[in-house]
Amino acid sequence: MKNWQRIKKNSELKEKFFIREKVFDGIRSFFKNDGFHEVETPLMIKHPGTEPYLEVFETELINDEQKRKQAFLLTSPEYAMKKLIAGGIGNIFQICKSFRNGEGLSEKHNPEFTILEWYRVNADYKDIMADFENLLWYLHTTIHQTEDKLLTYQGKKYDISAPFIRMTVAEAFEKYIGIKKQDLLSAKKLKEVALDKGYQVNENTDWEGAYNQLFLNEIEPRLVELNRPVIIYDYPISQAALSKRKKDDPGFAERFEVYLAGIELGNAFSELTDAVEQKKRFEEELELRKTLKKTEYSLDKDYINALEEGIPETGGIAVGVDRLIMLMADVADINDTIFFPAHEVFSS
Amino acid sequence: MSKLKAGNIKKGTYVLHNGKPHYVTKAQFVSPGKGSAFTRTKLQDINSGATLDFVFKSHDSVEEIDVESREMQFLYIMSDEVVFMDPRSYEQVNISVKLMDGKEKFLVPELNVYIQFFQEKAIGVSLPPKIKMVVAEAEDAVAGDRQNAGKKPVTMETGLIVQAPLFVKKGDNLLLDTATGEYVSRAN
Repeated sequence: MKNWQRIKKNSELKEKFFIREKVFDGIRSFFKNDGFHEVETPLMIKHPGTEPYLEVFETELINDEQKRKQAFLLTSPEYAMKKLIAGGIGNIFQICKSFRNGEGLSEKHNPEFTILEWYRVNADYKDIMADFENLLWYLHTTIHQTEDKLLTYQGKKYDISAPFIRMTVAEAFEKYIGIKKQDLLSAKKLKEVALDKGYQVNENTDWEGAYNQLFLNEIEPRLVELNRPVIIYDYPISQAALSKRKKDDPGFAERFEVYLAGIELGNAFSELTDAVEQKKRFEEELELRKTLKKTEYSLDKDYINALEEGIPETGGIAVGVDRLIMLMADVADINDTIFFPAHEVFSS
Repeated sequence: MSKLKAGNIKKGTYVLHNGKPHYVTKAQFVSPGKGSAFTRTKLQDINSGATLDFVFKSHDSVEEIDVESREMQFLYIMSDEVVFMDPRSYEQVNISVKLMDGKEKFLVPELNVYIQFFQEKAIGVSLPPKIKMVVAEAEDAVAGDRQNAGKKPVTMETGLIVQAPLFVKKGDNLLLDTATGEYVSRAN
């Protein structure tokens, strides 16, 4: 049965779907009260993000002379928003659709999803942590009309008051796996621990494989038990994506992710502002994309140019809005927050 | 037994995990954004019924186990066991009612099902997607006296209760969806 039919059969179901509207309104009030501007940037772009494992939707732009140009749907509005920041626009946020192909459907994924990104100038990732804590609190108290710090989700109660639990990646690896920080960046040590714990390790297993498999199996599931939102921060530099290297600890980067009830809600950085390092990371990732036979495209030179011209120190984050809605509406499946999820639209 | 790359595991595959046979109830590709791809799975221990979550590296190799699917006919049901018969060999097999996963009320006389065997032990039962059943009891309902507009509960020959249209009477043959337990249509 399609969602519209389910709503017809049980009109109370509409109220769950209307939580989306309340989350959008809440996000907008929250940021506007803080002097942010809402911006709108293209969904159809020329240079998608270079993440090696994200696949894109491809299309063609045909002009009036029938000339065709390769075009893509964005995986995140990040580059455009940071160009605006470089342009001196100040604090901004955007709620828009983003698209990720080839990911497979799950109760937490839809290929077309709603992303919220905000960028705060003259700030870093720690300021963004505080923003997120405040935003979650604002949404919960406004939507649920309560002052209670407990959010109920799927039968469990979570204390969402600030500050959230904060744990560095190194602390998490020590606490849940017993690996010391000085050993965390060693492929040899990590592989030894993985092998010891019964994971498959051979000469083809690299640091990344061991690190992620340990994190996904041994750490991520344990975060739910804390019954509070958790911020995992200071990722090893190879997992840095677009974040800045830590000055006093160059093996690690100023990146954090925030989890609640086993759901990853957001990914944030102290934005990388060094044009040279950014270009190098882009080139490495595009090479990897080629090896992985992913759709090829070129790097965004305009973005590098924006960094070269100078961008203020900025903290930014990408949040999965559909997942926020799942939490606020207390539903277990993302398809219950989206009127027309992809698997229904594209079912045979 | 054959080796499978974890990236190729799908829902419904049977694999050996930690030396024990498991049924894959969920398999999903995961990429943490940078780096190798992973397969998030939910596995059910065939013997204990316990489920666990496990994330494989996509290149991990997994032992796929040989599961034989045999067509069998339902004979009768006891309190904790169900008896099926191989219609060719007349060999009878008793399986625990737990393997029916709550669907034992779909078993009508002589129903043909597929039973999965691993090392000669029954590990699962597949029902046909739709089954014809007789209505054992149905009250005359007055339209509008139920919140579930246009439907009334009827009891099938096996004791299964189904929401059916108001015109359904005792003795009617109904076609039911075994996945959802819902009324599909009347049958001849």
